[in-house]
Amino acid sequence: MNLTLPHRPSEDNAHSLSTSSSSKTNALPRLSPSPSIVHKRSVSNSGISVRVYDPNLAAGATAFKSRKCKSQYPRDSAERHVEYILVASFNIDRGPIMEHQYPAPISGDESMLAELMLPDQTHVRSQDWTIFFLHKDSSVDQEDDDSVQGKKKKKKKKKKKKAGSSPRGNGTDDSEEDLNGSSQEEETSDEEDESGEGPPLMYVLNLVNTKQDHTVKRGAVVKAMAICTRHSFLHIYKPLLLLALEDYFKSPYLETLATLYHALNAMDLSLLPKLSLLERQILQASNCKDMFIEKFAHMISQRIEEEGESLDTDSPPSPKRSVSKYALPRDTHEFESKIVYNDIPIPVKVPTVIWPEVVGDFSLIKLIQIFSVPHSTSPQPFPIHPHLTTSGPYTHPIIILINAMLTQKRVVFLGHNRPSGEVAEAVLAACALASGGVLRGFTRHAFPYTDLSKIDDLLKVPGFIAGVTNPTFANHPEWWDLLCDLPTGRMKISSHVEPAPITEGLLYFQQQAALNYIHASNLNADPTGDTQFMEDIQRSISNRYGENAIRAKWRAYIMKFARVASSFEETVYGASNLYIIGPNEELSPDSPSGAQTDPLDPTTLRGHGYVWPDEISKQRELMASVSRIEGWRTTRSYYSFIQDIAAMYYPARPIMKPDLQHHHERLRTLKLSPPEAGVIYVAFSHAVKSYTGICQLLTVTPENQAGLFYLSMGLFHPDQSVREATVDLLETISEHPAGQHFWNQLNRFAKLAFFRVKRGRDASQNPISGPEAGSGEPQSLVGVAMGDGSK
Amino acid sequence: MGGQVSKLMGKIFGTKEMRILMLGLDAAGKTTILYKLKLTNQEVTTIPTVGFNVESVTYKNVKFNVWDVGGQDKIRPLWRHYYSGTQGLIFVVDSSDTARMEEARSELHKIINDREMKDALLLVFANKQDVQGHLSPEDITNSLQLNKLKDKLWYVVPSVATEGTGIFEGLAWLSNNVKTQPQK
Repeated sequence: MNLTLPHRPSEDNAHSLSTSSSSKTNALPRLSPSPSIVHKRSVSNSGISVRVYDPNLAAGATAFKSRKCKSQYPRDSAERHVEYILVASFNIDRGPIMEHQYPAPISGDESMLAELMLPDQTHVRSQDWTIFFLHKDSSVDQEDDDSVQGKKKKKKKKKKKKAGSSPRGNGTDDSEEDLNGSSQEEETSDEEDESGEGPPLMYVLNLVNTKQDHTVKRGAVVKAMAICTRHSFLHIYKPLLLLALEDYFKSPYLETLATLYHALNAMDLSLLPKLSLLERQILQASNCKDMFIEKFAHMISQRIEEEGESLDTDSPPSPKRSVSKYALPRDTHEFESKIVYNDIPIPVKVPTVIWPEVVGDFSLIKLIQIFSVPHSTSPQPFPIHPHLTTSGPYTHPIIILINAMLTQKRVVFLGHNRPSGEVAEAVLAACALASGGVLRGFTRHAFPYTDLSKIDDLLKVPGFIAGVTNPTFANHPEWWDLLCDLPTGRMKISSHVEPAPITEGLLYFQQQAALNYIHASNLNADPTGDTQFMEDIQRSISNRYGENAIRAKWRAYIMKFARVASSFEETVYGASNLYIIGPNEELSPDSPSGAQTDPLDPTTLRGHGYVWPDEISKQRELMASVSRIEGWRTTRSYYSFIQDIAAMYYPARPIMKPDLQHHHERLRTLKLSPPEAGVIYVAFSHAVKSYTGICQLLTVTPENQAGLFYLSMGLFHPDQSVREATVDLLETISEHPAGQHFWNQLNRFAKLAFFRVKRGRDASQNPISGPEAGSGEPQSLVGVAMGDGSK
Repeated sequence: MGGQVSKLMGKIFGTKEMRILMLGLDAAGKTTILYKLKLTNQEVTTIPTVGFNVESVTYKNVKFNVWDVGGQDKIRPLWRHYYSGTQGLIFVVDSSDTARMEEARSELHKIINDREMKDALLLVFANKQDVQGHLSPEDITNSLQLNKLKDKLWYVVPSVATEGTGIFEGLAWLSNNVKTQPQK
């Protein structure tokens, strides 16, 4: 059962090393002892400040939450980083063939795999990267394998092992998973993203090289090597694949594959802590480089404890030395490790947070730029389709793309004369764009690179996203609904696209419009807000905001889309699948936000969903989005989103009342009267107490939306009880391991107000005790407030 | 913009555009012919085509968009995806490869019997006329059973692709026989 990881370090080996080069191990982020550290890395960068493990940090973290930290990739896990290594070549008589597979033949259609590994026009370039996905159940290959049989064992029918997807199978699998999902307790919340769509995809990173060689018949050798993994961060393996394929050209034997396989699986990620859903959201939205550093510290202290136990029996080394083996990450968003291949240590960085639908390394900025530039220089009108051209014939192409993906159209990215890696990157970026880490079901039906030979399978998939390099796709508009041409940066809506059906929601809004003459006010503006949104995105790109900021904006866009859709359903159908109504909440359009249902319980604050400044702007936005929302309501991503809402209800919402997001948004976007705002502050202060509760609050106050600023406004509320409630709330947040970073970012004006209100309250509570007593407790907070400047 | 201007010029001066599909068994010389057309007087060395090549060649006021598709038997089923909209088929035969002449015949008949190819002109290059033991164009005509074809315009040209011999004669035949209906 227990997988024998090939290079499990033996303790004494590691220690002899750390003594031999202890000065170096101090300076470098050493992740784990590994026998092959014999190679000394240059320490030229030792000047970079590396946080050396500090036991106090871990202790500080445990004060708030003493639960044992789990690893994302435990050492004793049966799951391997990499499951297969494949080599294919182009045979001059037979076309693409598979040459070697390690450790065992990957089941499925071998020749189909070989074709994918040798992309079209490989012969015109010396090197090309490709990514493609396989739908393969992890439990299939148990019979011939010694140790793959992991805890992942699922009672599922074997899925089709083809790269062609199996859209039928999903429905049944999903419902089964859902039952498990909705009964999940918070404790097991870590598993939530497993629910839904069956076994994880197998991601394949492929490198193909063409070498001109006049000694062979027809003058060239074309070979490709691929790594099959279930890790979505497969791009980290690129340098390894480069080295290994080069080696394979020299020694084309199975041993070359075996060496790579064992090197990859020996990578140690066991000190990467597992974060809950809310923690991941906070980390992702934050630019703070030491967010959740205490968890990393905790992992290290646990490791040292474990080793201490095992070492006492052996030769007891100095504890100080074992401390120096581990270093904290420079940036908690990624975990540094290394892979030792043929005695060469290759540093790799693994992302701490892995969102669904984010695979490989791609750039949203690049994708947006490709299609924005031709549109802004010489816009071309699109033929009108209600699902796609939501802002008329001159809808921004990226909005057309997102609409096409949301309404499950067939999208093809065509890159004639471009490397296949480029089209694959565009497909992966488009999936991330439409998902925003919120919606799912895109990568599962994505074909980052495919060719003509798979066209029959491809056309069986309803709503796919495919990347191709063969321009013959452009001549077949019956194969796609939206063609995105990368070299020209133009999109084309197919003449064969299915017209949008007339739906209940559409009729409802047509009636409304006729009754209220809303459409009159509709003409001048940008009712969906998309034009404005795209302008903002492009401004951010030209101001060099960076990839993360753009991804955060898209995430917000998709979240808003889902919330608008929820309001739409409530308006048209009276109820929504997209929102679980909290206790004391009722679904009535007349029930105003902010009313307190139970006068004794301040947390029973009514209201939920997206916040519009007034009813007219709500109606206008809903009406503008009717078609694409109705189009979305029949898609896979809609149904899996409903399941996610059910499955993540408990993990994502420890505080069910009031709706933190809704009320925080009211504070942020509306001009509330003091009593209206006051009840929100009081409600928050009463509701937000626990670790997870604060995490939830922090997810609705991300840094890029001013952080705690709007909450801190409660410090200036006319009512003293509200001010004091706000102090309580902020104080709880500032003691929270993640919340302290948010507190640090709060402006000094708010902090001064905080201490003023706090002193005032302490003085009135304890009029006898002197100022020392009052200032005793906030001392640490003053330190925090002042320390803020040096950060 | 530039493309639109040249399209306009085309309308005025009668430039035609023609989609050509070039097929044949592997190692027949398709890619060499394509690049000899494109890079008239240059030495061309090729390696096996993985997938396809596509190039535009203008000759005698006709713009030929020539698709050259890899010929290994496993990838021949993909040829059909290139048929629609094709006005001319160039079938390249290695005249010295007598052993596979029957295979070439069968592949050729499969292509031209497809509904989508019924209107396409057929140009056969009897290639590699410089290799010892090659068949003559007449032998090729018989081996490929071209005389059996009905309702089909066809033409066999002897060629030596590596030297460029014969290939422009073939193109000239295509441009003279392409239907004059304007292309969309």
